[in-house]
Amino acid sequence: MESTQTTPLPGTAAGAVDEVDLTPVRTYWQLVRQRFVRHRLAVIAFFLMAILIAMALFIPLLSGDAWKETSLERINQPPSLTAPLGYDNLGINTFARLMKGLQTSLFIGFSAVVVIVMIGVTVGAMAGYFGGWADNALMRFVDIVLSIPTFFLILMLVAFWGTGNAWVIIIAIGLTGWTTAARLVRAEFLSLREADFVQAAKALGAGDRRIVVRHMIPSAMAPVVVAATLGIADSVVIEAALSFLGFGITPPEASLGNMLTKAQDYFYRDPLLAWYPGITLILVVLAASFLGDGLRDALDPRQRVEAN
Amino acid sequence: MTHRSDGGELLAIEGLRTHFFTQDGVVKAVDGVSFAIRHGGTMGVVGESGCGKSITALSVMRLIERPGRIVEGSIRLANRDLLSLSDEEMRDVRGNSISMIFQEPMTSLNPVYMCGDQISEAISLHEGISKREANDRAVEMLGQVGIPDAKRRAREYPHQLSGGMRQRVMIAMALSTNPELLIADEPTTALDVTIQAQILELMKALRERNRMAIMLITHDLGVIAEMADDVVVMYAGKVVEAADVTTVFERPHHPYSKGLLASIPRMGEKRHRLEVIQGVVPNPLNLPLGCLFKRRCPHAMPVCDTPPPLQEIEPGHLSRCWLTPAGEPPAIGPEPTREVAEEAAAALDVAR
Amino acid sequence: MARYVVRRLIQAIPIIIGISIIAFAIVHLAPGDPFDRFRSNKVSPEVIENLRRVYGLDQPLPVQFVKWFTTFWTFPWDSTAWGYSITDGLPVRDKIFERIPSTLQLMGTSLILTIIIAIPVGILGAVRQYSIADKTIAVITTIGYALPTFWLGIILRQIFAQQLDLFPLFGKHSFGKEGDVLDLLWHLFLPALTITIVGVAGWSRYMRASMLEVLRADYIRTAKAKGLASSRVIFKHALRNALIPIVTLLGLTIPTLLAGAAITEAVFSWPGLGFLGVSAVQERDYPVVLAFTMIGGAMVIIGNLLADVLYAVVDPRIKY
Repeated sequence: MESTQTTPLPGTAAGAVDEVDLTPVRTYWQLVRQRFVRHRLAVIAFFLMAILIAMALFIPLLSGDAWKETSLERINQPPSLTAPLGYDNLGINTFARLMKGLQTSLFIGFSAVVVIVMIGVTVGAMAGYFGGWADNALMRFVDIVLSIPTFFLILMLVAFWGTGNAWVIIIAIGLTGWTTAARLVRAEFLSLREADFVQAAKALGAGDRRIVVRHMIPSAMAPVVVAATLGIADSVVIEAALSFLGFGITPPEASLGNMLTKAQDYFYRDPLLAWYPGITLILVVLAASFLGDGLRDALDPRQRVEAN
Repeated sequence: MTHRSDGGELLAIEGLRTHFFTQDGVVKAVDGVSFAIRHGGTMGVVGESGCGKSITALSVMRLIERPGRIVEGSIRLANRDLLSLSDEEMRDVRGNSISMIFQEPMTSLNPVYMCGDQISEAISLHEGISKREANDRAVEMLGQVGIPDAKRRAREYPHQLSGGMRQRVMIAMALSTNPELLIADEPTTALDVTIQAQILELMKALRERNRMAIMLITHDLGVIAEMADDVVVMYAGKVVEAADVTTVFERPHHPYSKGLLASIPRMGEKRHRLEVIQGVVPNPLNLPLGCLFKRRCPHAMPVCDTPPPLQEIEPGHLSRCWLTPAGEPPAIGPEPTREVAEEAAAALDVAR
Repeated sequence: MARYVVRRLIQAIPIIIGISIIAFAIVHLAPGDPFDRFRSNKVSPEVIENLRRVYGLDQPLPVQFVKWFTTFWTFPWDSTAWGYSITDGLPVRDKIFERIPSTLQLMGTSLILTIIIAIPVGILGAVRQYSIADKTIAVITTIGYALPTFWLGIILRQIFAQQLDLFPLFGKHSFGKEGDVLDLLWHLFLPALTITIVGVAGWSRYMRASMLEVLRADYIRTAKAKGLASSRVIFKHALRNALIPIVTLLGLTIPTLLAGAAITEAVFSWPGLGFLGVSAVQERDYPVVLAFTMIGGAMVIIGNLLADVLYAVVDPRIKY
């Protein structure tokens, strides 16, 4: 839709038209969508992620307990229609187990990111909004958390406080991963604090909490969304590593990580076993990464977000 | 058509077209520009942002990069066609016969090298003298551009200098090889007014001393008035008016030039509102048919749907407008010259 | 500058204290204790109690903490400063020091190889942006970056060690060949390759991004306008600026030199510090775990400081 000014300003010749650029006007979200769609890779990643999530949700649902059902007679059977990847040394349907493992890994990955965002945004908002000693104290805390090698910290938390417990893993990843989000939000808030629209809200008598929640957080969310998406990739890999080492999800529960442990042990029997969970894991990481990149460019093409 | 004047021509640009092939379409940043600069003369190139003046300068230096390309035209520097030179030959010209200074002195110098080294680099590259000699020359140049304590300053980094001093360093760097032509792209726009005046004085002095021609690109008519001998007014990639500086200021013909001059507030005048030129510069991906200025022109007529050619309305004064030299609408339709037909065809291309 | 370093070191003290408290809390507040695995019908409770007393676990926590924290810092001269390992009774300090060279060999080699490969690749990608070479590199590095390191280790080991039998399966020496450098390199190859592949994928992307950003700068345009050859423009003017963030990143990578390869070391049974840390966690060997965490923390602090110092060295605009 174009707008053309039809009333000529005084002083101009009759018949002169005030020309405005003829490109149509779009809303913010339309622009975001448009920029996102330009990235073919990001769109592919989006669908890939959707497919992975769908598979992770529905296949375990449909196959019931197939992912842990052992059976003597089906040991090491070759692939069939209902078992595209065959059966493993315990007679378990490998594909079913893979999907269940994907479900677990995705669940932990996404949940961990939710925790990260919740903690990170809260801490970052408080530090950025209140500034002063609160900012100092919180950033000091960030420094301390960051100073311990992250993976090892998670390892300790999970090993000592709950091996095999999905919630412990989620919280552990969350407790160690929120620092980037916090820094991003804090940076946004520090600059937004002085922004006109915040001053305007204050002048209207809005309380601190209202200002923060309704006005500032939405503006600061863009880099957080990007960091969160990229964080999914990291979280999934961390969980897989934990499970691989035997600290995360342990058998008989299924996880992409512990399928790899088994693959290592049974290498001579079935060399391909290491590839299925590996490729799946890589697909999740690629999907999340490209999605994050696409979102970053779509939400603000000039933005610079640091991916861990 | 070229703008001729006395004194041998140093730089002759003819029919230059530099287009940018972007994802959204072709942007004709420079579309048929011709003018000439004579030895020791100063040509002012005036226009709003985006009219193609910087691209013209970069085209002369052959510094246009993808997705841009010089698609047509010739650029002759004292009878050498620069567009036909090899890369190596062109590099010989750059910084040597033609030097260029840019708008942002803050970012135009490499932050990790000392100022003196950046100057001596150009010298030793083009003159083949020893490093020590080049360094001495660099210090000398810094002195000539009015930097006090030049020896110490040469060993400082760009961030240690003020904006005005940095621009002086840029000028020193550009002039260190004694070029015949200096291209100055908005050299004072980013500086304070007082510093601006100093830099212009400096440029005038150096111009005198070195008998150097200058292509001075700016949107600031005050700078033009002070420095230029001849003026070329550009709009949307084309030259719309060309004449010597007095003519342009006293007898502008093209409505755009008139608008530019009229919009300068003058002291002592009593007005209710400032003059403005209606509208905005056209979107390069969506240019109007015919005269590119017609949507903003107070004199727009039906004939303006045919693109006007650059016509000589008095000796040495060209204007791209259908109005008669006296400023009246033309009595008869445009002459169907070949140039008119070509421009009309080209305009149809744009519309497609 | 010296004052800045001192100031940072002083600021690091509360961080170190914070780390020690957190590590201590995680370890000792956790359910269970390290001797759980010894508990069985065959072992009498008194023996367990004895063990606990020997390791000081019967004291109240704050007391334990203070004792541990104060003796910790005597390590340069006291080999028992970090206590004794619960797994094998050896002094923790010695166990750790013994493992450091192995990890340094692995991580050091990988890091050097990574830099040597990644920087030229990154430059190439930036200078020939959008070319076939660039696009190929981009695809390879993206996939490489997405590979989980430990999975890559498993696969490489499977293919080259197990199937093709070209390289050894684990460890860093063959029996009886402890001093043999070639034998060491043979063992080093696969784990170093694993880390290097993923490393190159990441670093070349940084290098390319940094180079691209620098190439867009105004001073590059100035350099070209001076008539400099493009190789001069790239290697003298652009590279020097593009390396600045890379150098600071290098500083930040220092911490990983000691603790970062834990999982790869585990996959290849490389007797390094990271592997020790993981094993210690597995066996609830608290003294080792605590010492390991402190070392890791110290490395991070030093790494950050080093990154900032290097930044000032490399960029003349920075003055502390």
